[in-house]
Amino acid sequence: MSDQEPVIGIDLGTTNSVVATVRDGVPRVIPNRNGQPLTPSIVAIAKNGKRLVGALAKRQAITNAENTVHAAKRLIGRRWGSKEVEDARKVLPYTLRAGPDGNDVRVELAGRSYSIPEMSAMVLAELKADAEAWFGRPVTKAVITVPAYFNDGQRHATKDAGRIAGLEVLRIINEPTSAALAYGFGKQVERKVVVFDLGGGTFDVSILDIGKSVYDVVGVGGDTYLGGEDFDRRVIDWLTFGFAKENGGIDLRGDKMALQRLRDAAEKGKVELSAVSSAAVHLPFLMGGGEGKPALHLDRQLSREQLEELTKDLVDRCIAVTERTLKDAGVRPAQVGEVILVGGMTRMPRVQRAVKEYFGREPCRGVHPEEVVALGAAIQGHALTAPQAGSEVLLLDVTPQNLGIMVVGGYFQTIIGRNTTVPTSETHLFTTVQDNQTSVRIAVLQGASDRAVDNELLGEFVLEGIRPARRGEVEIEVSFDISADGIVGVSARDVSTGQQQSITVTATSGLTEDEMKRILDEQIDELLEKKQTTREFDLRKQRTQTTLEEIEALRPAVQEALERTRFGKDAVQKAEGVLARVKQAMDARDAAALSEQEESLERTLQLFKGLAGAGRGQGGR
Amino acid sequence: MSDVSELIDRGIKAYVAGKVGEALRTFQEVLERDPGNPRARSYLLLIHGGAAGLVPETSGGRANGGAIPLPGAAPAAIRLPAPAGGAPEDFAPSPWDEGPAAAATFVLDPEGGLDLDAVAEKSDLRPLVPAREPTAVQLQGKKEVDVWMQAAKELFALGDFTGSLELIEKILQADPDHGEAREYLRQNESTLIAMYESKLGPLAGIPRLAIKPEEVMWLNLDHRAGFLLAQIDGAVDYEALFALSGLPRLDTARILANLIADGVVTS
Repeated sequence: MSDQEPVIGIDLGTTNSVVATVRDGVPRVIPNRNGQPLTPSIVAIAKNGKRLVGALAKRQAITNAENTVHAAKRLIGRRWGSKEVEDARKVLPYTLRAGPDGNDVRVELAGRSYSIPEMSAMVLAELKADAEAWFGRPVTKAVITVPAYFNDGQRHATKDAGRIAGLEVLRIINEPTSAALAYGFGKQVERKVVVFDLGGGTFDVSILDIGKSVYDVVGVGGDTYLGGEDFDRRVIDWLTFGFAKENGGIDLRGDKMALQRLRDAAEKGKVELSAVSSAAVHLPFLMGGGEGKPALHLDRQLSREQLEELTKDLVDRCIAVTERTLKDAGVRPAQVGEVILVGGMTRMPRVQRAVKEYFGREPCRGVHPEEVVALGAAIQGHALTAPQAGSEVLLLDVTPQNLGIMVVGGYFQTIIGRNTTVPTSETHLFTTVQDNQTSVRIAVLQGASDRAVDNELLGEFVLEGIRPARRGEVEIEVSFDISADGIVGVSARDVSTGQQQSITVTATSGLTEDEMKRILDEQIDELLEKKQTTREFDLRKQRTQTTLEEIEALRPAVQEALERTRFGKDAVQKAEGVLARVKQAMDARDAAALSEQEESLERTLQLFKGLAGAGRGQGGR
Repeated sequence: MSDVSELIDRGIKAYVAGKVGEALRTFQEVLERDPGNPRARSYLLLIHGGAAGLVPETSGGRANGGAIPLPGAAPAAIRLPAPAGGAPEDFAPSPWDEGPAAAATFVLDPEGGLDLDAVAEKSDLRPLVPAREPTAVQLQGKKEVDVWMQAAKELFALGDFTGSLELIEKILQADPDHGEAREYLRQNESTLIAMYESKLGPLAGIPRLAIKPEEVMWLNLDHRAGFLLAQIDGAVDYEALFALSGLPRLDTARILANLIADGVVTS
């Protein structure tokens, strides 16, 4: 196994991401270079121009909100002007713009425009680097998870993000499927399983039928704006309100630094309350006290009961969504054989109690809620690259949304319903709507609305050469075919003449091939530039090191000279400053700073030579 | 403290106007109210000739056109007295004692420069006419800016970069496009940043709290220092703190250097 190229499984989350692998047959999470299992899915250009990814980006997300991109997953593969993008624009503090073709979404970050796959790629590249540091060798193969409701475009865009990050994406799998896979790893499980996934920003509930190594998603639902951040916001509001009451109505939310600390403290307190019954929120010097007055502190105790009271409606919303999803799938709570909790928020005892009350059974405690999705992806990656007889896992995926065509009146006619297991095919008969109609436009759509305009247009084509006849007399057969890879083929045929036209809908991420090439080329250039800078730094460092060694060798003689006279002491003091700056530049691997100090360092060497020579000269007398 | 600021302002104006006696009294008054005031001390040093080699004085006060080193040039040569018994002849000269070739001190002749009138006829050169005559208030503001600029340069030459920076910031508030002030701003900032950063040690070093967390609230900090202190978790290094702080690099470096000096933080 050690000789085989490692494969990683990535849970690319809206708020946090996790990377895992299977080593010696055991699935395990790879900690990031800070030793943490979770990496916030946040990218920022800090005010000092440094690019930050992960925890550091999160810690300045409020103070530098306009240059911090979080929740890029809400935008990936979405079209500019779509409801989802419009909803996101209302809550995201960074600037979004339409792409060059006016269709996809771009992010403005520190004066540069990025596609959403590029933003996600930065997070993926960070995870890749963490994995490489852990393995001590390059990692290029990955399985990435996406929500079950992601459409083809979103899946394709996620794959593109992987490509930009330098990963070969072996497969994109559904998050609930992945969780169930980790849950069923090494067991013989045959039952209906509900995956209750309450993450940082979204809530997803999925129903799976697990047969003999077959994982079948039979229903998905959720709320894309319900997650741990909403719970944090309630705590922030409670803290802010209490502070205002004690401090003459001062609203902490108006101060970015205070709000950043509040948010960090709220999240920490909330997490603590899953294990203990009371948490202290202690934030000294939180806000300036005004002209000449000392800064103000915040010091409060939050109990678990208070937190539960503050967030009761959010928990209720989760249960309501779960109820609706089960109803849509025709599944009763009593039919569910297991409930798998996924996402950090499901650690909250109140959430666990609500799940238990609804399903009438204890949720599964055998899997780690924050790691289970990545572990499942790692298991899938391992199965794809190192299949062993009898251990193949067949993942059956379903269509996340209804697929169909536009019909007269601007309505949407479903041909393949959501939750249909793929591969699949379906045929429907239609007729012409006008007398002597010789052509028909087939618009292929995906979505949940009855109105065609509200759904996503996947592609369109025109079937010509239809036999002229009275309306309703000509029958047109429309067939949909979805392959195991999710590629949708649509054909329309005039039944009487056999005249046929078809289209293959290939999902796009919003990036054209030219753009993709440009991005990949830029990365190569960046890499080469980095190499060049490194080489330049190494050369300078080598030269500097030699000079420093020469200076250090002269130091005893210089000391001796200085002991005899105070002449030159001032100059030596300044020279020490130069040496400190040179060492600092070397530590920081800053080639420019090193170059700036080169002349001063040379002068220092001359000074030391002069003083040492003089000292020796005197000593000889 | 605002009285002290006003007094310093008054002292600077008096000093620049050549009213040394008045400046002396004003700065002494500042020290009575705020004994450690570095600005007043810097000026008193200047008045008492602590940097006589830098700013020559005449009996009537400061000489016009005193030599002020340009930013970027090394401070003007300060000749150290020869050691008792005379300097040994075989001592190699210090490059700083000589001053680098590029750091020559330029003395501008107040009457010097291009005589525009003399060339006007031949070159058809004509002075520009301002669109509107400057108002009395603008003229007063300009005079103040000139005074601050002069003082900022002198403080810079004295090595009081913080004092120089304060005045430069004042100038830029009044005249954001003041080119010379911008150049001094850059110089002051980079010098101060280097000074403060040198107190931090390697920027890849990880700062840690040197006191118990419960003792933090007994310190005398402002909310910006409180924010920075909250980011010190024993995992982030100085470079990351600069990125996290959201503050200008100079402010971050100054706060961190002060926290180290006060024994609150250790590397």
